[in-house]
Amino acid sequence: MIKKIYLIGNPNVGKSVIFSRLTGVHVISSNYPGTTVEISKGYLQLDTSRIEIVDLPGTYSLEPTSNAEEVAVSLLKEHPRNEIAVINILDSTNLERNLLLTLQLIEDGYPVIVCLNMCDEASHRGVSIDAKKLESILHIPIVPTCAVTGAGIKSMIERIKEIAPARRDKLSHEERWKEIGHIVEQVQHLEHRHHSLREILEDVSVQPFTGIIMAIGIIYASFKFVRFIGEAIISKITDPIFLNLYQPILEKLTFYWQEKGFWFHLFIGDLINGKIDFKQSLGVLTTAPYIEFGMVLPYVISFYFILSLLEDVGYLPRLAILLDNILHRLGLHGYAIIPVLLGFGCNVPGILSTRVLESKRERFITSTIISIGVPCVPLQAMIFGLLGAFGGYYVGGVYLVLFCLILILGMILNRTMAGYSPEFLLEIPSYRFPPLLMLGKKLYFRVKGFLIEAVPVVLIGVLFINILLYFKLFDIVTNIFAPLIKGVFGLPKEAIVALVIGFLRKDVAVGLLMPLSLSAKQLFIAATLLAISFPCVATFIVLWKELGLKDFIKSALIMITVSIIVGGLLNFVILR
Amino acid sequence: MKKISLTQIKANSKGKIVEILGGANLQTKLMNMGVRSGKEFAKLSHIGLEGPVVIKTGRTILALGHSVASKIIVEPE
Repeated sequence: MIKKIYLIGNPNVGKSVIFSRLTGVHVISSNYPGTTVEISKGYLQLDTSRIEIVDLPGTYSLEPTSNAEEVAVSLLKEHPRNEIAVINILDSTNLERNLLLTLQLIEDGYPVIVCLNMCDEASHRGVSIDAKKLESILHIPIVPTCAVTGAGIKSMIERIKEIAPARRDKLSHEERWKEIGHIVEQVQHLEHRHHSLREILEDVSVQPFTGIIMAIGIIYASFKFVRFIGEAIISKITDPIFLNLYQPILEKLTFYWQEKGFWFHLFIGDLINGKIDFKQSLGVLTTAPYIEFGMVLPYVISFYFILSLLEDVGYLPRLAILLDNILHRLGLHGYAIIPVLLGFGCNVPGILSTRVLESKRERFITSTIISIGVPCVPLQAMIFGLLGAFGGYYVGGVYLVLFCLILILGMILNRTMAGYSPEFLLEIPSYRFPPLLMLGKKLYFRVKGFLIEAVPVVLIGVLFINILLYFKLFDIVTNIFAPLIKGVFGLPKEAIVALVIGFLRKDVAVGLLMPLSLSAKQLFIAATLLAISFPCVATFIVLWKELGLKDFIKSALIMITVSIIVGGLLNFVILR
Repeated sequence: MKKISLTQIKANSKGKIVEILGGANLQTKLMNMGVRSGKEFAKLSHIGLEGPVVIKTGRTILALGHSVASKIIVEPE
């Protein structure tokens, strides 16, 4: 009786896509090894029984050489063999290397079904595999599938019942590779194909010279696109809705609202020249929804669209190759670029994905760098919205400061922390053009995730802030920190409210700066400080969980020190 | 035939892996990814200033950090 089914396979063969197909549970999948850092579980209804499906991190063999592989292998051993089944997913375009794990699974007596995934990709590349023949050699069910389109999934589910352990002698490494070579010779037929445009692009993007030019072009274009799409959504969709539809309703409400006391202050906020100003009123019904839907959401959509595209095409590992050099100086290797890029969306998934990095030291450096130097989309959107009005010069300045900070901090941490940078060893996937439906789905789930996380916090946060402001409870805090804020950072003492709220959510914090009528330079300092000071509470919790208490405290102390030094320096350099 | 390391062989040339120096863990890791002695490969690229080396072996494209690459001894074709 099968109780559990494990999905196992080499990294980046499409396990997560198959998992989503089998269980209906959406998990993020991308075209690079190591996307899955958490174990996902879901259920499959098979006849009358409900079977748990577990998506394991990618592993090349049953002899683990990394943390992720260890997790995968140890989970596999958790249950007695007669209660589990293993779906071994193979990349059809790379049969030889993938068969190693298959043979090991069979030798160890696991009941296995093999999924020859990416069969469409294989035929594009002139690879054809005789599944029947492979089945007769291995004595286990073999099903060709294409998870992205869903082809073959049904017949795979039907054949799960056939799963039974096959008998095979244990082989030595040498013998096993020989056997694999022998099997591949019998079942795989290669057709010679000329270099396609795709292969030329693949090659060009890892060459030292052309690769760097391409990388600069891609990063620049991505940045431009994110801004272009974000601004288009704001000017064409969200602003018209807020200004032409929502505002008149609110104005009517204010008109009939006789007593403008506590509740009015809470929900509508202050009237600016007798009118509601979405950027300055600070009410639960005015500024709160405007920040989230009118300023941040458009950029969340555009950022994740571009990021998902880059992920699914398979460009990121190539960027990692080009950056390995620089990142090595920071005690990291090239692959650390992936958590960093994810961190630009939201620090939480960024820090979670540091699990793709091998050593504790690397994870510490990357997490700390993300928390300090990588602003999330909501924060960036607000910086653009606020500081952008004073010219791109200031916005660029924030990024420049953060970039230098990452370099300096990384170099210092690399010099001072004991340990070594582990080796860079990465499989580079081929470029794939993701079906738009898959891309759309991924974008939908990311945006939905953002809304679920952000909207309640923002509404409750603004409500809470308004209560505190109404009863002037912030005054105590304001006065205590006034010397630091005024003396060191050159900001009005009320700015402390924003810095404190930054702990809750960065976008709301910048929102709180809006009514303070700061000068461009002050705004620049405040925005930079918000970016480098404590990350929001959600990031904090994840950081704690991932690093452990001791390293977490260390990281937090670094953050406080860096914020005070940088804030003070900026004030000294540009204000005085 | 002379033996050199993977960092020394020219980019855009082919060769055969002769030996992998380094610890057992690295050897297993490389072997699991399809890099083992006797395997033929093509070196696709080498990023300067001690950057990574990119090779293609079988149907796998791999990026290897400079110090890993220097532990792989090859025979140029």
